[in-house]
Amino acid sequence: MHIPDAVLDPKVALATGLIAAGGLAYGLRTLRGRLGERTTVLMGSMAAFVFAAQMINFPVFVVPASGHLLGGVLAAVLLGPWAGAAVIAAVLLVQCFLFGDGGLTALGANFVNMGLIGSVGGYAIYEPIRRGIGGHRGVLIGAMAAAWFSVILSAGAFSVELAASGRWSTFSDVLGWMTLVHAAIGLGEALITGMVVRFLLLTRPDLFDDGQAAPTSAASRRWGIAAAALSVSLAVAVFLAPFASTNPDGLEFVGSEKVKFLAPQGQGANPPLPAPIPDYAMPGLSWSPSAATAAAGVVGTLVVFGVGLALGRGFVGGPGAKSVLSARGVEADAV
Amino acid sequence: MRFDESGERSEGPLSRLDPRVSLALTVAFVVGVVATPPGSWRLLAAEGLGLAFAVGLSGAAPSSLARRWLGFVVPVGFLAAMVAPGHPARESLGVVGVALAILVKNSLAFTAMMVLAHIVPFRSLLAAMGRLGMPPLVVSTLQFMERQIHILGDELGRMVQARRSRTFRRSGRLDFGLMTGLIGILFLRSFERGERVHAAMLARGWDGTARTLDGADDR
Repeated sequence: MHIPDAVLDPKVALATGLIAAGGLAYGLRTLRGRLGERTTVLMGSMAAFVFAAQMINFPVFVVPASGHLLGGVLAAVLLGPWAGAAVIAAVLLVQCFLFGDGGLTALGANFVNMGLIGSVGGYAIYEPIRRGIGGHRGVLIGAMAAAWFSVILSAGAFSVELAASGRWSTFSDVLGWMTLVHAAIGLGEALITGMVVRFLLLTRPDLFDDGQAAPTSAASRRWGIAAAALSVSLAVAVFLAPFASTNPDGLEFVGSEKVKFLAPQGQGANPPLPAPIPDYAMPGLSWSPSAATAAAGVVGTLVVFGVGLALGRGFVGGPGAKSVLSARGVEADAV
Repeated sequence: MRFDESGERSEGPLSRLDPRVSLALTVAFVVGVVATPPGSWRLLAAEGLGLAFAVGLSGAAPSSLARRWLGFVVPVGFLAAMVAPGHPARESLGVVGVALAILVKNSLAFTAMMVLAHIVPFRSLLAAMGRLGMPPLVVSTLQFMERQIHILGDELGRMVQARRSRTFRRSGRLDFGLMTGLIGILFLRSFERGERVHAAMLARGWDGTARTLDGADDR
């Protein structure tokens, strides 16, 4: 996920760096007004938490690899969007300066992708869904959907940065591959985020009630819905963009180049994809990343919402529900 | 993945530099390496030679640098191979040349960052960043993060050990549920610890700025 040095064009690195600095400055000002000096202690321990949580490896069932939590949406859901972004910034700085993970010149791009889009954008998706569904079920499904879409949106942003520093003719193809790979990563992120949120809802539901009690004006609500609609439609556009390619020859050419690169790597510890060889293609349909990407998008969205509904089965949707245990008790009495 | 802040670091002459100078030199070196045009292998070789001198002067063990580089080279090499076909310099260098250039530049930048992490302790690096204009909120967040991360790392190790000793047979499904619970518990413990530390610091008159006796953190 971390962009190394020398991959992005200097102009792109500079532009993303400026966006990142501006976004971080705005977020820090928001935080200073809201939380006061309590911020630094809490955010420090939260950044340490995200760093430590990324060390816990999850087995991936289909391929012999392991993944880990990224944590941007989880931090945003628990602490708020800008605190989440600041936590991600701290984690990225430590990873860059102490472990050489992620390039120094790509720090801005990494923060834009994971902090601004991951946490702030993720929160913009989470908040309207939570409010629309309501209760703990809303928290759970909102967090899972936000985790899924934020990974896809980050991949889309990386594709844009890559295309802006290379050739735009390969954009749709890069986008297709990036979203295809990150659809799988996003599913894992949604699943882990959802299960952690479910655990926290069961043990400490009070952590989530702060945000619900906050007064919200009609205007900010409308803005929130608009932002969420924008993000979701962007994610849909990411999936549909490969279809709009006007340069199918270049697309297929670069696709075959990539296949050549992917094939020898397939045996490694980190197989990126099942090799997209023609054997897998439907009869009469030649393989193209576009169709698979679109299918992955539709299937992934459905799976995320389905798993969210299944995990949230025990929760009562009404806003009056205080804790899951009491809600279950009421249900049992009614039966 | 450990913070090597203990006393067993071997020191070289570079460790006596002002942390601000080390930081500025490293940033300048990385930017210079990244800005090197993709075709000029001699310039890259010269930069690598300069870096080799810096490694020698820093006192960092080349074997440990190489071990870290091995863990770094696989994902970056894979990404370089993915990115190279779309790179503008592909016509002149070919796909392999572009990928190799990206990989070499990243290796140089990575080694430079590792040398910086070796010669400047993280606390001094943060103080230098603060003096060079990084917002105080970010600096103090990073200071607290650095203190908490050792504690949380130990906590995580104990939790994983406890889980291992209680789950003799492991199945994939069981692991997944357990590990999300592990992350949840880790969050609760770090959140509550943060609140406790904050309350304790308020009781000792904390006003938002960290002070130390040795002056390493003053801004």
